[in-house]
This record gives sequence, C-alpha cells and structure tokens, in this order.
Amino acid sequence: MSIVMQTRIRLARNLRKYPFPSRLNAAGKNEVVKTVIEAVKNSNSPLADDLDILYVKDLTEAQRISLVESHLASPEFISDSAGRAIILSKDRTMSIMINEEDHIRLQILKKGFDLEGAYDLADKLDTLLDENLDFAFDEKLGYLTQCPTNLGTGMRASVMLHLPALKSGKAVSRIAGNLQKLGLTIRGTYGEGTEPEGAMYQLSNQVTLGISEKAAIDNLKNITTQLVNQELNAQKRMAESLETQDKILRSIGVLKYAKLISCDEAMSLLSNIRFGISCGLIDDIDTETIDTLIGEVQPATMIVNKREELTPQQRDKLRAEIIKNTLR
Amino acid sequence: MKCQKCQKNNADTHIKRVVNGQFEEYHLCSECAREMGYTSVFDGFSHSFSDDFNSLFGSFFENALPARTQATRCETCGSSYNDITRTGMMGCADCYKVFEDRILPTIRRIHGNTTHCGKNSAAYKKEKTEPKAEIKEVSELDKLKNELDKAIKNQEFEKAAELRDKIKEMEG
Repeated sequence: MSIVMQTRIRLARNLRKYPFPSRLNAAGKNEVVKTVIEAVKNSNSPLADDLDILYVKDLTEAQRISLVESHLASPEFISDSAGRAIILSKDRTMSIMINEEDHIRLQILKKGFDLEGAYDLADKLDTLLDENLDFAFDEKLGYLTQCPTNLGTGMRASVMLHLPALKSGKAVSRIAGNLQKLGLTIRGTYGEGTEPEGAMYQLSNQVTLGISEKAAIDNLKNITTQLVNQELNAQKRMAESLETQDKILRSIGVLKYAKLISCDEAMSLLSNIRFGISCGLIDDIDTETIDTLIGEVQPATMIVNKREELTPQQRDKLRAEIIKNTLR
Repeated sequence: MKCQKCQKNNADTHIKRVVNGQFEEYHLCSECAREMGYTSVFDGFSHSFSDDFNSLFGSFFENALPARTQATRCETCGSSYNDITRTGMMGCADCYKVFEDRILPTIRRIHGNTTHCGKNSAAYKKEKTEPKAEIKEVSELDKLKNELDKAIKNQEFEKAAELRDKIKEMEG
C-alpha cells in the first residue's frame, strides 16, 4: 500500500525473578540476557534456528545507530551498552531487545499494512517463549512492566504512514489532538518533532490496560484506514495543481543528477517521489524501491554498509550515487 | 538539572533520539519539550482522560518527594515509593503489590481503568486452572469418603455401594 509503509507490533515482557532493568545490576542483566537467549534457542519458534545475536557493547557507534535507523532498536536501547543484547531473525522481521526498558521487548516488523499478521506472529513467538520463561504477570494488571504506561497487554502496535498531502496542509498537528482522544498517538519519524522532512509518521496505540490486543489493533486499523483515505483525497486534490506536479517531477531530476545530497534533502525529495507514485504521476518507479532507498541512505546505515568511516561530505556524495544508481 | 534550552526551569523530560546519524540526549523542561514537538507519554493523556492530569501527575512525581522517615521499601528490590516517583519507573514486579494503593490512581489516569483484558501468561493460566481443579477433586473425594463412612455406620448398604463405586471411579 502506498500510504502505510510498515507495520510493527512490540510486546513488553519481564521475568518475574529479576528486578526491572533500571534496578538490576550488571551481573543480573547478564543473567537475563543469557536466560532469554537460551529460552529463544530452546523454543520451538521460527526464530530459534535463524538468528543473529548482537551485544551492544560489541557494536560500533555506527552499527548501534543503524539499528535505530532500521527501526530494530530504540534510541533508549543503544544509550547504554551494559548487559544489553538484541536477537534478530536473519530477515529482521523478528527481534528481541533484551534489557531495554523491560527485560524483553519483542518486535515484529512487516512491510505494508498488516496488523493482524504481525500480531499473530508476535503472539506465537510470545507464547513459545512463555513456555520457557516465567513472565511477571498479575491477574488484575496483566503483564507487569517497568513503566506503568505499558501495563496490561504490554503491546504497542504501530504503523508508519507517509502523509505528504496532510502534512503540507498542516493537517497532521490538528489530527494529532483528536487522535489522543482515541487513545492513539502520532509522531514524526526520521528527523525532528512534528514536521519531519520525509512526511513519515508513526501512529500507535497508547492505552494498554483494559483493552484487549484485538480491540487495540482493530481501533488502530480503523483510524489508519480513515487517515489513509483522507491522505489519498488530499493527494488527489493537490496532484491537479501544476505546482505540485512540477515539484514532484523536478525532484526526480535532482535525485538523478545531483552530486551531493544531504540526508534531509534526500528524505524530502524521496518523499515527493513517493507522493508522485501514490497519486499516479510517476509509474516507472515503485514505492518499495523508494522505501528501500530511504533505509539505505540513512547516515549510520551507509557507514555500516560501506564498512568504513565517512566524512559528512563523503556521505552526501555516496548518498547521491546510491540514489542515482537506483533511479537510473 | 536545568532545562538545556531555556536554562530556567527544571528538566523533567529526557529525550533520547537519533537525528542525522547522531545519537542525542536532551534534558528539557516539559514546556520546551512541547515546543520542540515532544509531549511526554504522560502529557499526551491530559487531553484524553482527565483535564487535571497534569496536576495529578505533578503529585505523582512531586508530592511524594518529601521522604517519609520510615519509608516502606519493597523487600524484593529495595525500592521506596520515593524512588518510584522520582524515576517514574517501578523497581520490580512485586513493587506493584507493595505500593498498590498509591500507584493505582496513577494507573487509572494513564489508562482510564485498572483491569487487564487480553492475553494471559501461561504461568498464570496454569496457576489458575490446575491447583484449583486438584483441590476440588480432593475435596469432592474426601466428601464422598466421609459419606461412605457415615453410610456404613448407619448400615445404609445400598447407598454405601453407590458411593464406593463413585469413589472407585474418581480414584481411577
């Protein structure tokens, strides 16, 4: 789907036997890491035979940041290296952060709009882990988490949305206020605050206690569908204007011929192209190509893929080359 | 700690993020954080669940600050209620029981209610179904055995035979 770029489900779980991570000493954290890794390996789950284990302490700064750029780890997770590890499936669909805010943060990341599929997989993985681990759970409060905001299901479901038309109409901040009333939150991804360069937003549920996983997902799904329709309508209107058409097609020109492109500029121009594909102005590029490019041109990810340090100018040059080669 | 932006208010919002390949950490006051587009998780709920949420959350963090001389501590992890309000984080699973009365109003404000609905963990399900079933079986069996004793004593043999069969069946 052209508007929903990816779907994520994240489950927070803790081991009953240990204090939560911020009250846990290094030895305890290492024990948790060991216990969780063993449980995953011994589980009959699809993750058991198909995993990479990364210890934060062994990673370079660029590798750590690249995990955040690829939505596999949170900034919180890489802010400290002691007793932290992440288990990743080879295809990166499944991941488990160990000792982030909770002992376990299990994540399913899928392309496109597939909340049910992502939840099914998260649920299966969680059930299999539950066979080998004793989770902190309370009849009344559900899964017990370090921060009370995650109590209950411990589930954060989110979709990444590309909303260029709503953003340009300044509608996103207006919508944000209404979403809060529905127990949802919207936040810019890639870049700062409420006006992200690439017009990409993360929409997720906020309430986790007193609402079942299914109800929370249905709610998010309904609101997402409404937002998508609003965006598509706004795109249709905007696409009729010569100015919009010029802006979109001009973006292809810059991306195909520029020698240096900063990350912000790339995000902004790639967003324009995505918009162009979505409203039918561009038909020889697909959104998947653009989405892959967006991942590849993130600063730390470029350094990791290139396997060498790059100065900001070298990065801008390499970024221009990567984009040019893909769009050629 | 003072807010890094206005250098005036106390920093109560800590933001960790990655921008342009750099990991950044900010300590801001809630006002500056909002201006920069960051509303804290708790802030966001002020509109949805309770208008006086901010004042409430203020109390979650501030009123509890004066340390009680004989502060209750969680035996498992050693956290006091003060530690929890200061960090906004519970110390361990048992803290929820130890500080239940004081934490429940906050939980209600965050989520709008205080009762879980959804998936249950396996350990809990086991706890809930197995022991109870066993106890029930034992007590049922004991009851029958008592009745059998009584029936024999009262020479109600027909009833006794019936009870004996039932007991045999249950003991498998």
